[in-house]
Amino acid sequence: MPDEIYINGQRHGFSSEQEDMPLLWYLRDILGLTGTKYGCGIGACGCCMVLIDDDPVQSCVVPVKSLIGKVVVTIEGLSEDNSHPVQKTWEAEQVPQCGYCQSGQIINAVALLKKHKNPDEEVIKQHMSSVLCRCGTYPRILQAIKAVSRSS
Amino acid sequence: MPSFKPNRRKFLKLSVVTSGMALVLGINWSCSGQSSNRSRENEFSPNAWLRVSRDNTVTIIVAESEMGQGPYTLMPMMVAEELEVEWDSIIVERASVDPVYGYQMTGGSSSIRKGWSTLREAGAVAREILREAASRAFKIPFQQCHAQHGRVSNQQSEESLTYGELIEFVDEVEIPGQVTLKEPHEFNVIGHPLKRKDIPEKLNGSARFGIDVQLENQLFATVVHCPVLGGAVERFDSQQASKVQGVKDIFEIREGVAVVASNTWVAFDAAAKLDITWDNGGREHISTQTLRQHIMALDESDPSDIFEVGNPDISGQTTSGTIHNSEYFQPFQAHMTMEPMNCTAYFKPDGDLEIWAPTQSPSAAYDTARSITQSKLETKTRDLGYRLSSGYDESVIVNTTLLGCGLGRRLQQDYVSEVVQIAERFDRPVQLVWNRREDIQHDFYHPMSFHRMSAELGSDGIPVRWQHTIKGAGVSMHGARHSYDITSQRIQLFNTEPTIPTGPWRSVGSHYNVFAIEHFLDELAFKAGIDPVKMRLKLLKHSTRLRNVLEMVVDRVDWQGTTRGKYAYGSAVSSSFGSHVAQVVELEVLSEREQRIRRVVCAIDCGIVINPDIVKQQMEGSIIFGLSAATKPGISIRKGRVEQSNFHDYPILRMNETPEIEVIIAQNKENPGGIGEPGVPPVAPALANAVLAGTGELLYELPLRI
Repeated sequence: MPDEIYINGQRHGFSSEQEDMPLLWYLRDILGLTGTKYGCGIGACGCCMVLIDDDPVQSCVVPVKSLIGKVVVTIEGLSEDNSHPVQKTWEAEQVPQCGYCQSGQIINAVALLKKHKNPDEEVIKQHMSSVLCRCGTYPRILQAIKAVSRSS
Repeated sequence: MPSFKPNRRKFLKLSVVTSGMALVLGINWSCSGQSSNRSRENEFSPNAWLRVSRDNTVTIIVAESEMGQGPYTLMPMMVAEELEVEWDSIIVERASVDPVYGYQMTGGSSSIRKGWSTLREAGAVAREILREAASRAFKIPFQQCHAQHGRVSNQQSEESLTYGELIEFVDEVEIPGQVTLKEPHEFNVIGHPLKRKDIPEKLNGSARFGIDVQLENQLFATVVHCPVLGGAVERFDSQQASKVQGVKDIFEIREGVAVVASNTWVAFDAAAKLDITWDNGGREHISTQTLRQHIMALDESDPSDIFEVGNPDISGQTTSGTIHNSEYFQPFQAHMTMEPMNCTAYFKPDGDLEIWAPTQSPSAAYDTARSITQSKLETKTRDLGYRLSSGYDESVIVNTTLLGCGLGRRLQQDYVSEVVQIAERFDRPVQLVWNRREDIQHDFYHPMSFHRMSAELGSDGIPVRWQHTIKGAGVSMHGARHSYDITSQRIQLFNTEPTIPTGPWRSVGSHYNVFAIEHFLDELAFKAGIDPVKMRLKLLKHSTRLRNVLEMVVDRVDWQGTTRGKYAYGSAVSSSFGSHVAQVVELEVLSEREQRIRRVVCAIDCGIVINPDIVKQQMEGSIIFGLSAATKPGISIRKGRVEQSNFHDYPILRMNETPEIEVIIAQNKENPGGIGEPGVPPVAPALANAVLAGTGELLYELPLRI
């Protein structure tokens, strides 16, 4: 039985050369899913966040082989058409500036809202602090997450 | 009634001949944007800035790089205002390096100012041609044709045609020689918080940054640079590195050792296994300390630049004369663009070199690439006895992608030079990516600077003499010419050649010069027992716009002096890049050693506002950017190397460290100023001023420990 991982609902195999490759690079260079970004390579910036069994994880520090049997969701897997409530609210609040960290921000926000339907400001800030933004979109991220909670 | 030039076809032909000659004589970078012969079938393309297609899609070409500051929205808004089309019908295209767009460089918060007249004119010219086309289609007078919402209507009947439908009638229409632009009170687009064009793709991973370029058959490369800045490769052993599966080649380039592989991870992994012996060029002795001593010791007999007015010598012999002196020091800063340095290049079978670069200056990228490819060709051509023409070479194609931050770092072209040298050896596309360590350790740093301030106060405590000495390597007077009414001033710069690479960093000289000015002013007020806001307002009597934004923030916080209960307030002002900004930091003083920034209130006067939501975004972002430099450690050098290597030891602000931010925008009809950088300089001094108010402690170096 070939080693397989599930990404955005699809099965993907990997070779023995790829088993130690960080998931981030497997997604980007092997699968061509470039929505997940490289920012630091040491799990410090959060740009590479994906959902692994609904938990937000820095994909730059997890090897492909550790994902066997897990459900991986990347930014590309949230919706076909920007219709995920977090995406819609991000648009309404005009959150992104350069946008490079936003895949990580959105994935992290999705993970937060799966655990807490109505998180208070402190909880939001603590959770969202795992993803850095050099452009300073934090105030809008906070507003957007509050807005998603309110509307759901 | 605009006066028309001769028939359009003839005009286009003439301009083709003219520009043809210009191409042979030399690249004409002067920006005309006029009459490109870029007409395609089924499209109306009156100039290089826009195309209308039969299905009424309006493509607006933007010659500024999008790094989050909004040109992909702001530039089209200026065209759309005059063009009279629906916002939703517009799609955005990034300009190529065709000289018709002039020399392209996005920086200095200048995009709006550069485009303000040109882009509105481009839209107006197109609209007038379409009105004339409708006049011919409907066989009615021109004056009866009204353009709005992407169609031209006969004002006296029901008939109207969309711009797409009018394409077949534009051929015989002459380009108007002049157009009248709308007055601000007529604006329907400018001034509105229209939704950004680049946001939808940034929500789902489809936005393509430089690092996301993935072409068929593409190879991936990385470069290891000498950790000691300015060093070079002596020799290297690639035995271990070559063993990594997927490595294609390892070789030396000018800047270091390049590893080329089948994917980025293999390239990074192999690069880490290289055994390189470096020639450090004797530069291991360089450190923050030696660099600091070097700039402090710069001889002060001959300034690099000076501004002097009145009688600035502080003699201490006046009757009023309270004199104060302070010295400030600012460290190196790194850019830490979220997207690390990268570039993709492909030497194609047809002989063209195509590049994909997240660059702030595609024109500089073009020049860099061409100088490398031409150097070989030039030698060969000369050997054969010919001379190369220096005209625009269409065989070097530069595609500018989205940028994951620019911040001034991507004005540099080192990544272009490297990828061209690497890709030259292959007949496949090659993408070069630096890892984060290389990115932070091979930056063009915001320079360190030393400031000596001296002021003599009058009997009312207001400064009458002002001296500011700036010393550094790669520093300037930018931002040092403050707006205060001080009749005697001497501002002098002692600048020397940088030992380590320095370059523009968001807000440039204003960042370090304004800190010295604004914190020193509060120190003077503190020592004279005067409210610093009152002092500023007095000194800004003749700087109406800057005084006005200060009044706006003071009003918003209901300023009652520098403290109120457990809160301390610090203010700062700065005019830069054509705009005027005032900020107040509200600090919660928890103890003598611990304070928390509760709120930053910011007012900006950027003249006519194109998009108020983007202005707000830029102020929010600038403040957070400025707070990172204000409160986190800078870059340090030891044994010739940058000590920091990633976000763990060169941190930037996280969400849980970010205060509330309020932005107020002044409303007036002045010509638009910049919005990307002006919000940065005031925040560090405003914070230092709040700390001074709350604890009595004067702060002389960044980072400010709060």
